[in-house]
Amino acid sequence: MNGLERIEKVFRMEEVDRIPWVPFVGVHGGKLVGVDAEEYLKSADRVVDGISKAVELYQPDGIPVVFDLQIEAEILGCKLVWSKENPPAVVSHPLADGVELSSLSLPEKSDGRFPIVLEATRELREKYPDVALYGLITGPFTLALHLLGTEIFMKLFEDPDYVNELMDFCTQVGIKHSEMLLDAGCDVIAVVDPMTSQIDPMSFETFVSPYVSQIFDFVRAKKKYSSFFVCGHAQQNIEVMFDCRPDNISIDENIPLDYVKEIALKKGISFGGNLKLTSVLLLGNELDSKKEAVDCLDLGGTKGFILAPGCDLPMDTPIANLQAVSEQVHNEYARQVTREMEHVSSLEPLNLEGHWVEGKVIVDIITLDSASCAPCQYMVEAVRKAASGFAGNVEVNEHKIKDVDGIRMMMALGVQNVPTTCINGKAEFISQIPRKSEIVKAIKNVMGR
Amino acid sequence: MSDILSKLSDCIEFGKINLASPFPPQMKEQEGADELTAKALAQGINPQDVLTQGLMPGMERVGVKFRENKVFVPQVLMSAKAMGTAMLHLKPHFLSGAAKQKGTFIIGTVLGDLHDIGKNLVAMMVEGSGYKVIDLGTDVDAAKFIAALRENPGAVVGLSALLTTTMVNMEKITQEIKQALPDTLVTIGGAPVNNDFCNKIGADNYSSDPQGVVEFLNTKVA
Repeated sequence: MNGLERIEKVFRMEEVDRIPWVPFVGVHGGKLVGVDAEEYLKSADRVVDGISKAVELYQPDGIPVVFDLQIEAEILGCKLVWSKENPPAVVSHPLADGVELSSLSLPEKSDGRFPIVLEATRELREKYPDVALYGLITGPFTLALHLLGTEIFMKLFEDPDYVNELMDFCTQVGIKHSEMLLDAGCDVIAVVDPMTSQIDPMSFETFVSPYVSQIFDFVRAKKKYSSFFVCGHAQQNIEVMFDCRPDNISIDENIPLDYVKEIALKKGISFGGNLKLTSVLLLGNELDSKKEAVDCLDLGGTKGFILAPGCDLPMDTPIANLQAVSEQVHNEYARQVTREMEHVSSLEPLNLEGHWVEGKVIVDIITLDSASCAPCQYMVEAVRKAASGFAGNVEVNEHKIKDVDGIRMMMALGVQNVPTTCINGKAEFISQIPRKSEIVKAIKNVMGR
Repeated sequence: MSDILSKLSDCIEFGKINLASPFPPQMKEQEGADELTAKALAQGINPQDVLTQGLMPGMERVGVKFRENKVFVPQVLMSAKAMGTAMLHLKPHFLSGAAKQKGTFIIGTVLGDLHDIGKNLVAMMVEGSGYKVIDLGTDVDAAKFIAALRENPGAVVGLSALLTTTMVNMEKITQEIKQALPDTLVTIGGAPVNNDFCNKIGADNYSSDPQGVVEFLNTKVA
């Protein structure tokens, strides 16, 4: 089963072999290829390179092509201010500055940065037929807010007809943009409407539901899938969002995953989320990221769930943290190890005084438990076999991190992965099972010193 | 409390701006904050009482409802708009000293950040709770905050950041303010920020909602 098939199955609420994962790589792609956000988002080549790098590093099942909610706004006359580390910000609202709604026309394929997005989509489609490509569009309410500014909130009450007219226009823009993206090769249309988190369910049903539903219906008619992304405190609107009938809803850390799961399963619609973006992926370390990933994976479950960050990844998110998440997705043993390490933080590292013996080589293997973890078993067997040739000069110890002392030894040796083999305290073989000859060579090297 | 002041509180709570305003439907064709404030002052009610017994209780009620997820940004903005109309009638009395504000609050979104919805909500709620608010806008550096503080000694500063990348600037600005004017209280807010971050950068308060800022000010200033 490839990534695209896996994601399509999840959208259809069918069982999958493992939970798929979709890292929302936006300007983070710029970091991966060493350019700033502006250069990245203005070049199809950079986007293709950035996403290719992300596919290689993070082994995703699906990935967005471009994550920038200002593309349509820019075409429709909003001024943008660019920055080095973030997507651009909208700083002017034409409808608040005297422009008439009736004077705005639907954008064309050749407008603004559409050609960049479409070109990148076509190239990535060609390159990665097995990865689900997400085409992002700005949700109609967020686009309406770009065009009109915060005035829209008061217009909900003071001039509802105008808001309806505006929402209708923004929906037509969204449908047109979706069509371009699907024609260029996207598999999924993600409607990203973060500003809806600011309104109540009744306003949502009145001013948002009738419009976004049209976009989801359009995508369905094209025999493709849709996802509804909302960032922020939108818990109040989750139920009405599902009632718009997207194929998937993706949420961030502000909404509890189990809350969304319960409604999703009841409604028979898939869901995704909600890796903590800043506190864990951006500011935390690999271990934090692993724990966070396993928590989400265990909570989400294998039916109808896609693992994803809460929103687009901050540019400087450490690559190692995202690789740590990817490892949890792809490797059952890695997940077991992470679960076992739950209580690590309260422990002190073992005191290694007296652990080393003059004239002897000490080999320590950190394992989950060689009896139940196949890679651990093979590593222990291989090392014992190699050591047997040195008679009594080499001592081999297995430390199972299912025991507190095993964990404390792991901490003392500074080991991050399981299984790992250390020779005289230095990590020599990490995760991979070495050949006997390599182990012998490593031991001889230490003896020669 | 006089009947007119309690009606005024309702207008603020439910966002009834003036007679012509169609919102909220249950108050259609009734007088709003605009007419009632003018009327109260004309009747000779003390401007201070109009503020503290009429406007502020309404603003506080909507702030609490916002915190409890009973109303959302649109409703709060309507309340703030009603409040703003009423304040126009009170401004001359603040200037003459017949009515006093509780203190001064200087607010801005930090350098590099252009987001203003959250900051505006806090500014409106704080103003509606009886404080003088100086809004420095978005993309504000430490020098501007410090200059505003020198003009308004004893004011409290509110910093807003919506981006993970501008959290760093929040830290720098807080430290520069504390260095220049060590007694200044700094309160922070915004999507990526939390209490841990507040402690880390040496700010005095973190609030996840505007009413929290008002409560912080009420305990520290008023």
